[in-house]
Amino acid sequence: MKIISKNPAIVGLFLPLILAVGFVSGVSRLSADEAKKTTLDCGECHTCENPSAENLCLKPCPSLFMLQEHAKHTVTEAPDSMLLKILVNEYGPVRFNHKLHARMSDMDKGCAECHHYSPEGRIPPCGECHGGEANPANLRQPSLKGAYHRQCLSCHREWSHSTACAVCHIPLGAESLTGNVKDPTDIIGIPHPLITEPVKRVYYTPYDRGPMVTFYHKEHIDLFGLRCVDCHQKENCVFCHDLQKPARLKKSQEEVHAICSGCHGTHKCSKCHDKKEKPAFSHADTGWPLSRFHRGADCRACHPTGKRISKLNKECIGCHAGWNQETFAHAVVGLQLDEIHIEIECADCHVDRKFENKPVCSGCHDDGRDPRKNPPGKKI
Amino acid sequence: MGLDRRDFFKIVTAGSASMLAGEVKAGANGGNHRFSDNFGVLVDTAICIGCRKCEWGCEQANSLAFRDKSEYEDKSVFENQRRPVPDKYTVVNTFEKPLDPANPYYLKVQCMHCNHPACVSACIVGALEKKTEGPVTYDPWKCMGCRYCMVACPFQVPAYEYAEPLTPQVRKCGFCYDKLKDGKKPGCVEACPNEALTFGKRGDLLELAHNRIIQNPEKYVSHVYGEYEAGGTSWMYLAGVEFEKTELPVIGSEPIPEITESIQHGIFKAFVPPLALYGLLALAMHTFREKQAEKGDNHE
Ligand code: SF4
Ligand code: SF4
Ligand code: SF4
Repeated sequence: MKIISKNPAIVGLFLPLILAVGFVSGVSRLSADEAKKTTLDCGECHTCENPSAENLCLKPCPSLFMLQEHAKHTVTEAPDSMLLKILVNEYGPVRFNHKLHARMSDMDKGCAECHHYSPEGRIPPCGECHGGEANPANLRQPSLKGAYHRQCLSCHREWSHSTACAVCHIPLGAESLTGNVKDPTDIIGIPHPLITEPVKRVYYTPYDRGPMVTFYHKEHIDLFGLRCVDCHQKENCVFCHDLQKPARLKKSQEEVHAICSGCHGTHKCSKCHDKKEKPAFSHADTGWPLSRFHRGADCRACHPTGKRISKLNKECIGCHAGWNQETFAHAVVGLQLDEIHIEIECADCHVDRKFENKPVCSGCHDDGRDPRKNPPGKKI
Repeated sequence: MGLDRRDFFKIVTAGSASMLAGEVKAGANGGNHRFSDNFGVLVDTAICIGCRKCEWGCEQANSLAFRDKSEYEDKSVFENQRRPVPDKYTVVNTFEKPLDPANPYYLKVQCMHCNHPACVSACIVGALEKKTEGPVTYDPWKCMGCRYCMVACPFQVPAYEYAEPLTPQVRKCGFCYDKLKDGKKPGCVEACPNEALTFGKRGDLLELAHNRIIQNPEKYVSHVYGEYEAGGTSWMYLAGVEFEKTELPVIGSEPIPEITESIQHGIFKAFVPPLALYGLLALAMHTFREKQAEKGDNHE
């Protein structure tokens, strides 16, 4: 049961009631616009289906102690790098490569990895709610300093096993480091290899009859439009960064197969496993070489069923059923129809709407003209 | 005797107030709410990163040592379990994190500032004092060096300057009482970058602690150490594993002074008959002397 509250006043009245103490200050930061968008899942606070004034059946409301909202956001929205200098006193500012962290987080929980409150639209920066001092009226809300340290260190110390201040903090007065970061891969003077996707990867597996699995990584992103997190799940920082990676983080055979089986059937081993490298997927092998119009299209545009790529009807109208003389811009095929022909029904020239066959003129013209020599418009 | 109505009421009210206080104290752990307004600190071992900046902050606040902050990044100290010592009122130790031995949990140790401090009741000269705001403070000018407090403390907190030949003192965390009086936070709390230490009113801290447990059941065991232990303490702890697996002792909810006091009272009970005898003798001598003096007066 989902309610989208249309009236911010209701949210304003209702939330403090549920939250009882302390949390109000966090909520009051919602602007009227944001409040409109606030979606509350009734089950988050109520134990029964139809709560009433007599019977509120309230739970202790766990998830609302900390403002939680996670709308979909993409890496491209992330700012490149930031200079965190509001709290500068003992140390110089912290250079934070936001984009790089966003890219890495994209392999796990995305923005939500750090932003516990990431509503639709603009994600408010931490300092908008977390102040310079821990909020004495709301002990649940740490100060900006506490919030930053908890965020950064929860991952950093896990893989680096260090809590040394100098890892992030630039010594005070180190001039060269206080300017803006030019190199987007630069994390406090240490360039981080850019996170790029490899074109292909060959995996060697213990399967005797076909030890090699060739995986065309780039193709999966460019053609199939997959996002990092579609395959790279729960690959938190430790997964790449901790050299003494605990065994539990290595993926099991089942887990690896599960990633592919989301789209491919994994029952036929030879589909992926071979004794040599497999060539990249070619659409022509399916008996349908892609024309220039289809080549650039996203797979899902034609195979919308998503998960499993289905066999399609090869006739044009199988997909383009809705096209008619009004909606189809004929010029894209290289022929701009003249004023007379542009009004004519498609099927008058393309008999039975079979567009893969040659069009005919004999429906109207009995001089046996050839549409190639005598086109019904201008060739472009 | 000039005892007017007003004085009479004063005495009666004071008497009943003390009776009431006695009653609250007597109930094992009962009246824990009485300490809700006391200052306290919630130590969240699931947030603590073992950076030891609290040790640095404490040593600065109490002028115990002036080492550079970076010296506290030394992790080799965790190889041994440490205890508070005369020049270190607080120390950070580790305890095992199941599934992730490379990143253990950390636990900061210091005086718990008990609601019913055993050290205070053990101290026969009143050198240790439970302040109304919560802290248990120490006055070296009153201390006679008997070290009963060290024996009495269930958390083995007070340390003694054995190395000090002339004026050895008992040393322990005093909850930075002077800073608290100025409306400031204790040195260690201020120094904690991760805000693993939350300073506030005991009642609010308990609410915070229980909220954290409810909100993150996978992160915490459902136990706030110090809520009931030894009748409740000002400093309290949250942890991701059972407290039996930490260095914090397993202690019942009975206030410790009641145990120690009952022993002490037992001892004093044995003293009562001889004391009464001496008292009687003293009274007899006193009256006898007074009578003699009166006689003398008459002579003059
Ligand atoms: S922890 Fe020990 S020293 Fe501290 S108040 Fe309690 S009994 Fe006293
Ligand atoms: S409260 Fe003060 S004395 Fe006690 S550990 Fe913290 S800084 Fe040290
Ligand atoms: S300063 Fe805070 S985070 Fe660091 S060891 Fe002490 S309590 Fe833990």
